[in-house]
Amino acid sequence: MSAETAGPETLGSLSDEPQQDPNSQQAKEISGKSPLRIALGRLARDKIAVVCAVVVLFFVICAMFAGTISDLFGVSLETPLASERVDGLNNGLPKPEMGPPVGPFTWEHPMGVAPRTGEDNLAYWLHGCRVSLLIAFTATLIASVVGVVIGLLAGFLGGAVDKVLSFFIDMFLTIPFLLAALTLAPILNERFNTSPDYPTIQKFSLVMVLAMFGWMGTARLIRGEVLALREREFVQAARVMGMPTSRILFKELLPNLAAPIIISVSLMLPAFVALEAGLAYLGIGVTDGVSWGQTILKAATPTYFREYPQYLWQPLLGIVALVLSLNLLGDAVRDALDPKTRR
Amino acid sequence: MTQDPNARAEVEPTAVGANAAEAGERRLGDDVSDAYGSHEVNVGDLDFHIVAEHGHTASELDPDAPAVLTVDNLKMYFPVKSSGVVRRTIGHVQAVDGISFEVPKGGSLGLVGESGCGKSTTGRLITRLYKPTGGSMMFDGKDLAKLSNREMKPLRRDVQMIFQDPYTSLNPRHTVGTIVGAPLEVHNVVPKDKVLPRVQELLEIVGLNPEHYNRYPNEFSGGQRQRIGIARALTLNPKVLVADEPVSALDVSIQAQVINLLQDIQSEFDVAFLFIAHDLAIVRHFCPEIAVMYLGKIVEIGDRETIYSHPHHPYTQALLSAVPDVKQAAVGGRRERIRLEGDVPSPINPPSGCRFRTRCQFAQEICAKVEPPLLQIGKRHKVACHFAGELGAHPATPVTTELLGVDDQGSPVPGATPSNTQLTIPGYEKTWYDLRTKQTTGV
Ligand SMILES: Nc1ncnc2c1ncn2[C@@H]1O[C@H](COP(=O)(O)OP(=O)(O)O)[C@@H](O)[C@H]1O
Ligand code: SF4
Ligand SMILES: [Mg+2]
Repeated sequence: MSAETAGPETLGSLSDEPQQDPNSQQAKEISGKSPLRIALGRLARDKIAVVCAVVVLFFVICAMFAGTISDLFGVSLETPLASERVDGLNNGLPKPEMGPPVGPFTWEHPMGVAPRTGEDNLAYWLHGCRVSLLIAFTATLIASVVGVVIGLLAGFLGGAVDKVLSFFIDMFLTIPFLLAALTLAPILNERFNTSPDYPTIQKFSLVMVLAMFGWMGTARLIRGEVLALREREFVQAARVMGMPTSRILFKELLPNLAAPIIISVSLMLPAFVALEAGLAYLGIGVTDGVSWGQTILKAATPTYFREYPQYLWQPLLGIVALVLSLNLLGDAVRDALDPKTRR
Repeated sequence: MTQDPNARAEVEPTAVGANAAEAGERRLGDDVSDAYGSHEVNVGDLDFHIVAEHGHTASELDPDAPAVLTVDNLKMYFPVKSSGVVRRTIGHVQAVDGISFEVPKGGSLGLVGESGCGKSTTGRLITRLYKPTGGSMMFDGKDLAKLSNREMKPLRRDVQMIFQDPYTSLNPRHTVGTIVGAPLEVHNVVPKDKVLPRVQELLEIVGLNPEHYNRYPNEFSGGQRQRIGIARALTLNPKVLVADEPVSALDVSIQAQVINLLQDIQSEFDVAFLFIAHDLAIVRHFCPEIAVMYLGKIVEIGDRETIYSHPHHPYTQALLSAVPDVKQAAVGGRRERIRLEGDVPSPINPPSGCRFRTRCQFAQEICAKVEPPLLQIGKRHKVACHFAGELGAHPATPVTTELLGVDDQGSPVPGATPSNTQLTIPGYEKTWYDLRTKQTTGV
C-alpha cells in the first residue's frame, strides 16, 4: 500500500517547479539544482542584467585582445614622428589627413590621433581599457581573498583573534584613502623611478594600494555573515562528527558565503575602475604608461575641449559605460541572490 | 500494518483531535506520510498519540541493561562578561549544575523540562560541543569530560547528535549525498567509491528515495530533512545518539512518523538514546525512563510508569497536567491543569535552596534554606523535594530532615549527623529511602 501513499510530501516540494514524478525524465534533469543555480536562472531573466553583462563582456574582450584588435585596425601604440600627424601651428591639433576634428573620418585612425603627440587614440583606448580592467580585477581578487580569509577567521574563531582582526579592520577604515595614496606615490616614485621596470612596479604598487584599502568592507561583511552561520546547527553537526576547523571553514562555511563574496566583488570592481582612472588623473596612478585617466588628464584643457572634444569623450565614455554596467550588473546579481526580492 | 485508513472516522471525534484540527496543526488529506518506500502506514489525519501507538508499541525498559553512558555531577557554567573595553567576568550562567544519570545500553532516557532549563546544554556537553566546567561523563571506559579535542575525535564516531531544526541543521549548499557521506570522509572509514552505496543504504533506512542523493536540502520537506539529519547521525554506527528535540519543529502528523523511525532505528541498530523534549507527551512512547529538569538540575527521574502515574515532584505534576490525555479526553474527563505562576528565574542567580521554590505552591521555609537532595524513593525513582508526595498527598512535614540533619524549618540540629549516603550516584541503588516509614528499604 506504500506506492499509492506517495504524495507530494514524499517527492519533496521543489521550490520553483511544479510537483511532478521524481522518476520522470524531466525530474532527473531538474534534480540537483543548487541555490546559486536558481539565482543564476533568475539573473538570466533580468533584461537590464543581460544588457549590462554584454557591455561588460565587450570591455573584457577589448582588454584581453587589445593587441590583436589594434593590429586588425592597423593601429599601434608606436608613434613614428609627431610632426607627421599633428600640426604644430594649430595648437598641435591633428592634421586633416588624420581624421576629425579637422579632416573627414579615416579608417587609418578610426578614433583619430592625440593632439601634440599624434598617438593613435584607438590603440591607446584599447590598451587603457586593458590596464584599467587588469588593475581593477587583480586588486579586487587580492582584496577579496584577504577580506574573506580575515572575515572567516575573525567570525569563526572569535575571542582574541576576532578582537585583533577587528582592530585592524577599524584601523584601515580610519586611514583616508586619498591621503595615503598621495603620500605613498612620491615615496614609491623616489625609490623606484630609476628602475627599468618602473611601469610594472607602478602598476603593482597601485594594485597593492587599492587592495590594501579595499579588503575591509569584504572582511566586515564576511565576518558578520560567519557570526550568523556559526550558530547554525549544520556547523555544530560538523563539529560533532569531528570535522577539522579548516574543513569547516572552507568546505562548510565558504560555499555559504558565495552571496556576500559576489556582492563585495560587485561593489569593488566598478569602484576600482573609477579609482584607477581618478588616481591616474591626479598623477599618482599609472603615470608612466597607458591609462584612461592619463588621457583624460591630457584632454582636459580648455583649448582641446573646445576644438577637439572627442579626445576627452572617448576615455570618459569608456569609464562611464564600464562603471555603470558593472554597477547595474552588481545590483541585479545582488537582487537575484536575495530570496526576499525574488520576482 | 493492519490498520485500515478508512478506520480513522472512528477516532476522529475526540476532543483533542477536534481541537488540533481547529488549530490547523494537522494537514488533512491522504498525503501526510513523508516517507518513501514501505516503512510507513498511511495514517490519514490522525493525531500524534494515535499515530504513535499505531503499530509501534512503546519501548520497554530493560532494568538489567548495563549503562553505556554515565554522567556524574556534570556542570556547565557560562561566564557572563561585562560590556565595555575590559570585559570582566561578572557572573556565571549555571546552565547545567550538577546532574547525574545513566543511559542504558540500547535504551533511551528522556530529558524533559521547560525551555532554558539546560537540556540542550546537556546534549552539547555529551557530544562535547562544550567542555564541561565540572563532573564526568564515562563512556567506554573513558571520561569524555577530560579528553582533549584530539583525543575526542575517534570517540565522536560513537556519540552522534540529531538536531532540533531541520532547516538549519543541513548545509544548504551541499547535496544530500555530501551531507550524509561527510562523516565517512572525515573519519576516512571507507574508500571513496564505497561512500555512495553507503549513503544510499542510509537513505533507504530512514525512508527516503536513495536516488535523491544528488538533491539539495531545499528540495525536501521538514520531515524529510529531519530524516536526512538522522541518516547523517547514523552514518558512523554510533552507540549513543543525542536527539535534541528532534520533532518539535515538525508538523504534528509528521512528528509521530519520525518518532516511529527513531524507534525502528533503536531496535534495529541497538543505539542508546538521550532524547530531549520540552514536554512529557513526546517522550511517552519513546523513553522507558525519564528525567525531569528544572533550572539546570534534575528534579525527578524514574521509569515511565512512575513518572506518568505517580510523580512525586510538584514540578513534574505541573508539567504532566499540561499533557493532553487521549484516554481521558475520550471519556470527557480531563486532568486539572496546574498553572505555574511567574517566570523561570535567571540561571545566573538561581534561588537558594530548592530552585523551584519561587513557583512552588508547597514551598516552605526549609525550601529556601536547604537544597533538597535527589533522593531515591523507589526501585527506579528519585526525586528532589522536601515535601515529595503524590499529587494531593504531599506530606505536611519535610521528609528529608533526618537525612540532612536539620529541623522542619531547615536549621541544622546540633549534634545530628546527616545519614545521607546515597545522593549522587548516577544509577539506582538496590536499597532506597521509603517515604512512609522514613527507613531505608530494599527488595
Ligand atoms: N553558549 C552560551 N552562552 C551563555 N549562556 C548560554 C549558552 N548556551 C545556553 N546558555 C544559557 O543556558 C541556559 C540553558 O540553555 P539551554 O541548554 O539551551 O536550554 P534548553 O535547551 O533547555 O531550552 C539558558 O539560560 C541559556 O540562556
Ligand atoms: S522542595 Fe519545596 S519548593 Fe522545592 S519543589 Fe519541594 S516543596 Fe516545592
Ligand atoms: Mg534547547
